[in-house]
Amino acid sequence: MRRLAAAAAVVVAGALTLTGCGGADGSGSGDGTAELSVESAYMPQPVSDMAAGFLTITNDGGTADRLTSVSSDAAGQVTVHETVDGAMQEVEGLEIPAHGSLVLESGGNHLMFERLKQRPKQGQSVSVELHFDRSGTVTVEIPVKPATYHPKTGH
Amino acid sequence: MRKKTFAAALLAAASLTLSACGSGDSGDPVAVVSEEAGSQKAATVLDKPFEKPDLVLTDTQGKPYDFRAATAGRPTLIYFGYTHCPDVCPLTMNNLAVAKKQLPQDQQDQLRIVFVTTDPERDTSAALGTWLKGIDSQVVGLTGDFDTIQAGARTLGISIDPPRKDDNGRTVSDHGTQVIAFSPKTDGGYVLYGEDATVEDYTKDLPKIIKGEKP
Repeated sequence: MRRLAAAAAVVVAGALTLTGCGGADGSGSGDGTAELSVESAYMPQPVSDMAAGFLTITNDGGTADRLTSVSSDAAGQVTVHETVDGAMQEVEGLEIPAHGSLVLESGGNHLMFERLKQRPKQGQSVSVELHFDRSGTVTVEIPVKPATYHPKTGH
Repeated sequence: MRKKTFAAALLAAASLTLSACGSGDSGDPVAVVSEEAGSQKAATVLDKPFEKPDLVLTDTQGKPYDFRAATAGRPTLIYFGYTHCPDVCPLTMNNLAVAKKQLPQDQQDQLRIVFVTTDPERDTSAALGTWLKGIDSQVVGLTGDFDTIQAGARTLGISIDPPRKDDNGRTVSDHGTQVIAFSPKTDGGYVLYGEDATVEDYTKDLPKIIKGEKP
């Protein structure tokens, strides 16, 4: 039951490809652009008005880009955090290298949602705007997974 | 010392994942192995069990809670964290709570899961109670004097610093990176879990820990 739900959510996450990047001219094949796509996005079902979000941003382009800020109508504030030695701290932004990726995963970097207006439940999704230096603003739907979801086991 | 080892292990894990996604240089087989649940043991059984820390703190009802007295002869799990922690702390506590719910009711009632805050200023009894209600109301939440908490954690090899402000004036707190299980037979802390332990790991191991057996 739980397993089925998780599998369905993975498909949703897998389909999050960023075709609508603002900024770039659209031809997208030259070396001078960042070509971003987002995968493996999820939010563990929160237990309070605070939540974490995880995702992987891949850049197939020849130019680095930078995730500068994040916003969501679902939360009072969304910030980007890194975890160092068990303590987490806010960071100004994170780079997505050319032909590389930025991984936000449990235990490492994550999005931090604060003052959630409603507590999202497993099976729902949260709309989030990612703001990039070069690629402009990209909206992704982050599926809400069980609170114990582990991407490596898939449930 | 122990913390360093764990940090190094975490770094290794992080870089494995990163290189796996970067589709580049090395197809490191270790990364593949670790994707299979159960192929690597999450539990570390200690040769020299930890003694229970002498922690007398305040529970979510605002009443004094003597950790040694209240958990004597009971299977017990302890974790140090804080509620303004979106990632690892709720994940760890939910893993324990969901695994616990797979046990028969009488064993659930035997088990003591204890969450000790590392951020006692923000985590009052009431704040802890509210947070834990979203996880499992049987979990014991403890708050109190930071120095007492830090000293107790240290006897379990868990190093935490006091909450402090970052450059933006926001509070930064530490959480432990491990859960320690105490045997109902000896009261010794004999099994250690890192923060990559999954709900499946705990679900598999708790029936043994309930009896004080090695997972």
